[in-house]
Amino acid sequence: MPKLLEVNDLKTQFRTREGPIQAVNGISFTVNEGEAVGIVGESGSGKSVTALSILRLLPMPPAQIVDGAVLFQDQDLVDLNEAEMRRIRGGKISMIFQDPISSLNPVMRIQDQIVETLQLHLGLSKAEARARARSLLEAVGIPDAARRLRGYPHQFSGGMRQRVMIAIAIATNPKLLIADEPTTALDVTIQAQILELLARLRRDLNTSLILITHDLGVVAGVTDRILVMYAGHIAERAPTEEIFDNPRHPYTLGLLGAVPRLDAERGSDLVTIPGSPPDLLHPPTGCPFQPRCPFKIDKCATYPPDLKVGRDHYSACWVDVTDPKEQQRAMQKGFIPLHPVGGTLAGEFSAGNA
Amino acid sequence: MDVTQFEGPHAPVPPVPEVVELTPELARKRRGQFRIITDRFLRNRVAVAGFVILVIMTTLALLAPVIEPVRGQFDPATTPNFAIALQGPSLAHPFGTDNVGRDELARWLYGARVSLQVGLFAMLASILLGVTIGALAGFYGGWLDSTLMRIVDAMLAVPLYLILFLLSATFFSRGTTFGIVLLIAAFSWLYTARVVRSEFVALKEREFLLATRTLGAGDLRLILRHIIPNAIGPIVVSATLLVGTNIITESTLSFFGFGLQPPASSWGVLLADSESYFTQQPMLVWAPGLGILLTVLAFNLMGDGLRDALDPQMTER
Repeated sequence: MPKLLEVNDLKTQFRTREGPIQAVNGISFTVNEGEAVGIVGESGSGKSVTALSILRLLPMPPAQIVDGAVLFQDQDLVDLNEAEMRRIRGGKISMIFQDPISSLNPVMRIQDQIVETLQLHLGLSKAEARARARSLLEAVGIPDAARRLRGYPHQFSGGMRQRVMIAIAIATNPKLLIADEPTTALDVTIQAQILELLARLRRDLNTSLILITHDLGVVAGVTDRILVMYAGHIAERAPTEEIFDNPRHPYTLGLLGAVPRLDAERGSDLVTIPGSPPDLLHPPTGCPFQPRCPFKIDKCATYPPDLKVGRDHYSACWVDVTDPKEQQRAMQKGFIPLHPVGGTLAGEFSAGNA
Repeated sequence: MDVTQFEGPHAPVPPVPEVVELTPELARKRRGQFRIITDRFLRNRVAVAGFVILVIMTTLALLAPVIEPVRGQFDPATTPNFAIALQGPSLAHPFGTDNVGRDELARWLYGARVSLQVGLFAMLASILLGVTIGALAGFYGGWLDSTLMRIVDAMLAVPLYLILFLLSATFFSRGTTFGIVLLIAAFSWLYTARVVRSEFVALKEREFLLATRTLGAGDLRLILRHIIPNAIGPIVVSATLLVGTNIITESTLSFFGFGLQPPASSWGVLLADSESYFTQQPMLVWAPGLGILLTVLAFNLMGDGLRDALDPQMTER
């Protein structure tokens, strides 16, 4: 698959009175054409800042892209001027946000909000744009589209509004769709519908997708590859099944362990990763996860390189977390080995029984 | 166990009616937004009363050149007739006559034209200025915001009538309607700018603006198509209130002799002309005074009604 987006050593910081905050600290990844990439991590790990840096939508100042390149179709977005950037936004790269309630203009008809994008980028006439707006609404599964087009956002439910947002985002057949926590504000049943819709549209339109979430369950069914972010770094990146079957970074293990389980013992506490994300004003030297990491060794004082641990699988960790001896050591510091997910994770399971 | 009697989550789903009857409720939902707004406005009796008063006032003002030839008081501003000076209300002169024998109703009608004109045009000018400056300050923030808002603060700190009197007496050609409009507009945009700025500051952080930016919209489009329509309520209220205050400002200027100059007539001029005859012919003061009161009140009432009617959040779901 040809490369669509290549992020190279991207560094985004916020200048504050107390000093610069390294929100994104030298991340590199690629998104191929038609591919779906998930970015997971807890709040403040730099997921959204990464997305907004790609589109150059962060308020500057205080934000600043200090280093790196964002190559989109072999064009470095960091170097484009504002007018060129506006043609990319909504035309080539679209974005869906977390809160559909507040992402639509409350005083504008749905129709006009879709038509606006079409006119901005495709130069359609009003009649053509309206016809297309209607077929877009139908494509995202809104019944009675002709009438709903004339409605205002407050007449739509949360899930319907997210569908409208998606309709607007795909209006111009963008090459890349960035969905920033698109299901966080929705009910679980609606979440599944929206994810299904995203997956279907991606296949139909051959659009690449970057799906940002803190919910591993969300990315599991939709994405081809996953990037796990922590404190502005990419801790681990691998094909989706690899992340679930063979996680190699202690932070990924922690995230997987913290997914609530239906088969957990009744009344048992939810599993958490102890500690809290580092203060990005004063990040720890070396690996940013080491203060919370049960696998920590002396070597962690230097930042680990992206170590190749499998096919297309990289983990920024010095420790081999599949080594039973390392796991024994970590369990003494409170590490809870993962339950097998769907009968896999064999290494962890046997270690847990040992 | 008989499945059909099971009352749990597997209870049979009631059949969906295929034909939905068009109830009044449904019919209402199908109407356009304009109708909904109109209906909501019409349900507000006080606002409708204001609107009716304004329609009457405007009609009278517009028809003054038609009414007057019919009444035979064709050139009321300039034709003194001392023989009938200071008469009380009568059939021929419903509002009586002034101290030089001019028909007070004729002057009142022509005065209404001027007062409404000044009120409206000064409002338009100050809304244009206030919205532009408020939008720039609120949208861009930073030094631009500080500079513009400190100018507003400084201008608000100057005693309004003192500066109006001074400017009217020195710079502006005395008495022309256009000059008065500019003068009033130059000092009445300040509160509008503040209101619009605060709306912009609040609105620009809203997520839908980021979403719109994501779609490739530029600043101008964001301001004109997305933020201003969201702030239209406060702007409309501000505008209607401004017409009222502008009419009062004009009247005050004229009353003190710094506004329109006789023989031109506005309600303020009429008040100025007649205040010394209040004890002899109270009607000479009541007519323009009530004209001002009713018109300003009507604008305020209508502004309130419009604000409620325009708020889309209040539309029935």
